[in-house]
Amino acid sequence: MAAVASETVNLVINDVEIAVPKGELIVESVKRLGLEIPIFCYHPRMKPVGMCRMCLVEVGFKQPDGSVRKMPKPQAACTLPAQDNMVIFTDTEMVHRDRKGVLEFLLINHPLDCPICDRGGECPLQNNTLFYGPSTSRFIEVKRHAHKAFPLSKYVTLDLERCIQCGRCVRFTEEISGDSELAFRFRGASMQPSTFELRDFTSKFSGNVIEICPVGALTNREYRFRARPWDLETKPSICLECSNGCATWFDYRVNRLVRVNGRTNEAINEEWTCDRGKFGHEHYNADNRLTVPLIRRGDRLEECDWPTAYAAILSAFGVGGDKVAMLAGSSLSNEGAYLLNRLFHRKFGSANVDYRRTAHTLPPDEAAGNAPTAIADLELKPSILVFGNSPADDIPIIFLRIRKAWFKHGARVVVAHHGETEADSFADVVLRYAPGTDADLAKGLVAARANDAAGVAQAAAACGVDESRIREAAALLGENTAIVTTDSLLNSASGADAFRALRQLGGELNRYALGANDQGFADLGLVPGPDGRGTAAILAGCADGSIESLWLAGADPFAFGDRATVEKALEQVGFVVYQGTHKSEAMGFASVVLPMAEPAEGDGTYVNAERRLQELRAVLSPPGEAKAAWRIGAELALRVGMAKPYFGAKDVAAEIFTQVPAFRGVAFGDRLN
Amino acid sequence: MGEYKLLLEHSHDPAYATLAGYQAKGGYAALKKALGMERQAIIDEVKASGLRGRGGAGFPTWIKWNGIPKDKKGKHYLICNADEGEPGTFKDKQLMETTPFLLIEGMTIAGFATQGDAGYIYIRGEFVDAAKALRKAIDEAYAAGLLGKNILGSGYDFDLYIHLGAGSYECGEESALMSSLMGERGMPRLKFPHVPLPTISGVWDRPTVINNVETYTCAPFIINNGGNWYASLGASTKNSRGTKIFSVSGHVNKPGNYEIEFGTSLMDLLEMAGGMKGGALKACVPGGSSVPIMNAQQCDGAIIGYEEMAEAGSMVGSGGCMFLNEHTCIVTFIWRTAQFYANESCGKCTPCREGTKWLLQIMERIRSGGGRSGDIELLQEVCSQIDGRSFCGLGDAAAWPVAGAIKVFRDEFEYFIEHGRSIVQSAESARMLPESPVVAVS
Repeated sequence: MAAVASETVNLVINDVEIAVPKGELIVESVKRLGLEIPIFCYHPRMKPVGMCRMCLVEVGFKQPDGSVRKMPKPQAACTLPAQDNMVIFTDTEMVHRDRKGVLEFLLINHPLDCPICDRGGECPLQNNTLFYGPSTSRFIEVKRHAHKAFPLSKYVTLDLERCIQCGRCVRFTEEISGDSELAFRFRGASMQPSTFELRDFTSKFSGNVIEICPVGALTNREYRFRARPWDLETKPSICLECSNGCATWFDYRVNRLVRVNGRTNEAINEEWTCDRGKFGHEHYNADNRLTVPLIRRGDRLEECDWPTAYAAILSAFGVGGDKVAMLAGSSLSNEGAYLLNRLFHRKFGSANVDYRRTAHTLPPDEAAGNAPTAIADLELKPSILVFGNSPADDIPIIFLRIRKAWFKHGARVVVAHHGETEADSFADVVLRYAPGTDADLAKGLVAARANDAAGVAQAAAACGVDESRIREAAALLGENTAIVTTDSLLNSASGADAFRALRQLGGELNRYALGANDQGFADLGLVPGPDGRGTAAILAGCADGSIESLWLAGADPFAFGDRATVEKALEQVGFVVYQGTHKSEAMGFASVVLPMAEPAEGDGTYVNAERRLQELRAVLSPPGEAKAAWRIGAELALRVGMAKPYFGAKDVAAEIFTQVPAFRGVAFGDRLN
Repeated sequence: MGEYKLLLEHSHDPAYATLAGYQAKGGYAALKKALGMERQAIIDEVKASGLRGRGGAGFPTWIKWNGIPKDKKGKHYLICNADEGEPGTFKDKQLMETTPFLLIEGMTIAGFATQGDAGYIYIRGEFVDAAKALRKAIDEAYAAGLLGKNILGSGYDFDLYIHLGAGSYECGEESALMSSLMGERGMPRLKFPHVPLPTISGVWDRPTVINNVETYTCAPFIINNGGNWYASLGASTKNSRGTKIFSVSGHVNKPGNYEIEFGTSLMDLLEMAGGMKGGALKACVPGGSSVPIMNAQQCDGAIIGYEEMAEAGSMVGSGGCMFLNEHTCIVTFIWRTAQFYANESCGKCTPCREGTKWLLQIMERIRSGGGRSGDIELLQEVCSQIDGRSFCGLGDAAAWPVAGAIKVFRDEFEYFIEHGRSIVQSAESARMLPESPVVAVS
């Protein structure tokens, strides 16, 4: 319910006159005066429903004679749009009485299990009761009894006794995530939120309902009973589980990550998280974290100290040139990647560095400038073409923006993918093409835009999509279209051709990165130079013996490469540095193992899919002797006499800002040049 | 004054439910006349008639019709609220079963006046006979060119659809009815001033007229005889015009639907229904279960009219008039009413969802002999926390009977709480009690 800013109306709130945008909800208007109206069901990012009645206020209208005529009934401030001459009272006896009344009603069937409730201490119902509620209840009947701790899904537990039926969770799945997996069943005092026939709640954004639940009805199965809110410390963090770079809060206790909550960043995630981001951080606490450097002695990896490990590495990589190579993993910070990249290029004289994990790659001249549309701007695009990816899987938070563009602003959406996607549900046109025919379809769209009937017919035949469909889709596209693709299109053999064709389509062609800091690596130039080898060639070089030493900097080739190829490469290559956070299969091939800190265990900067530079300040300290990537790079640089010492990630960042053109003059939170 | 059969004049005649029989009695003359009139002239006639909504709220009908944009930019819809669920009311059922063409003709006139494209008759799910009668009548009307394209050669197109509800009292609330009609959960929607009026943005966000069955059926008579003629009926009252059908039930000798002219006294209505049965008059709920109960003394001088009944301490409501004799335990009666509302609350808003159940729980405790001093005040407090605070009128409707009964029959509540049993102790009274709870509320 965004207010139209152009026109204002004059309100009187508790005797204070104030001009607010016409149509603004009163619950928002009062905030302008620093007042607060208690709420439960209202959520600023969802349509107001007026269900809980907590926000009742007295409303009157100024009459021509100057008197105020009050409406006979109190009104819900969360649904009432501001109008001229409206007079609002938030502090009358009646309002206080009504608040007490609603809270008494909400509490008669609410169990008094706050002492064992996860929400206790950060619970809107507790807070509102404390500030506005009655001190005692007059209810002496039997309370409602219902399911306690019903597992709604892998992540979410539903306690129906605590539920106050505000509908926030139901509306979230209808309005924001769009899966509509939750709904109310039964009615009256028996009304309860539920999945259809109690099926699993499989939404990819299910974790958000835990945070927006104003009571402890929906709780986090991973966090359940692990801490009380007042025992937790919290620091801002960035989610690095994918390339979206959502703002999060890391709640921790005694240096152990306990839970992740969404943090507001209007440019990226608003306040939402995806389930991968919210529940995918267990690896911080995993038992198989690496804590000390290891060095191979015979067929065993033995503990050693850092200087020993560094010495072994520098001696093995001393051969330099084409005989050494590095693969970088996607959650390496800019600082770590920059220093290692420089070490390879300057000291080892090698251009064999790469981060790309797709089966195919674009030539360097075509790879640049690949995210012209900022995430927040997607919302205002009149049309969006999703091509060759499933955004809810690849780029979940961008998916939410695309959906919002449709839901809130009426964008027309075309989804072209070989499989089903969540975006199909709101697409105007779905183009389901035969796998591998990405380029044909893209050319078909171009042909349809150019009224080239033969071209459309040819494309339709090749990719198995109706000609009329292609024309229908093309008619929705134009210069203002945002085209959303991801690197996953490059796993198709015709992906590169598809990009070339899409470029001719007009509009803003986005190729969003998939890995957390892939976009940063691209902008840092962590790619093979003209004489260097790319990922596939590096693995091949290891296998045929032309590469003698391989550095896995946070990369796990088993996670993306063909198994036999990777195994052969790691077996054949003479020396493997495994710089990682966890034990893994690839570690078994290592000559030296360097324990690395997780991103939030050290300072660093990252670039997200829309090329936004973000700073992450250490939340936790790394386990054992593990070190942040930048520190490993800095210590090696010092050892080979490359630079003045770096005392912190900031020093490295400062150097990046001066040395790397894309970063020049960019402030944290801004997009790269 | 007294009985005046306007809508129900031919309701005893089965032929009236057929097109031929209906036309034989002058049916469809009004539509022919209306189609030759200016649209605004029709609305002006309705304005002159003083017709007010017969569903319960008594809102002036012409204001709704007149509120539909004259400058048509898209579809306009009409809805007939035939979800007659108010306990004690059964007038719409009879109207639809015996005089379906009156409703169809009335809606077509309203449709023409408001440039409506289609009408939806939302019928209570249990009214299968009414739906069947209407289905037959609508089919006949289509076949005769009285519905569909180019009605009577006027160039006006109007389609009429039947939609059966699924058994929720709440869906008789106009905005919940629209939600239900659109395939959503039957919960009320925001209303003016929070959102535009239904006449601007109603069902499917289009301008919508929504009226009760009885309201629409009045339209042919108003057009035929003129608004001023209609307004001459009930002229003795302050602002109630025309006739009103009362569904008289309870302890009367001849329960049934009685159509009276406004201004008739409540006691005359009782007389028409054959007078009290099995005992003297003790109380009356004149307008459906949600209106405040009246005692015999209040009934005595009560005149039927919207303002007049309010002065007598109750409401005309939907016309579900229940007379209760001296053997009735008011506490039990109210307990049963509370049970109904707790069961029918949709659950959307806190006061109604929690409050109706709490009221029922207190009433059940009192009924089972567990009443405590202070319960009466508690009931009143809970009622005042629901009344006017709920999302829609159902909350008010649930609170009024309880608060009203305490006001008028406080002694009966006090007695029940103090003695753990009813003040009424007679064999007849015992026979009235339900054997077991009628509806269990979980």
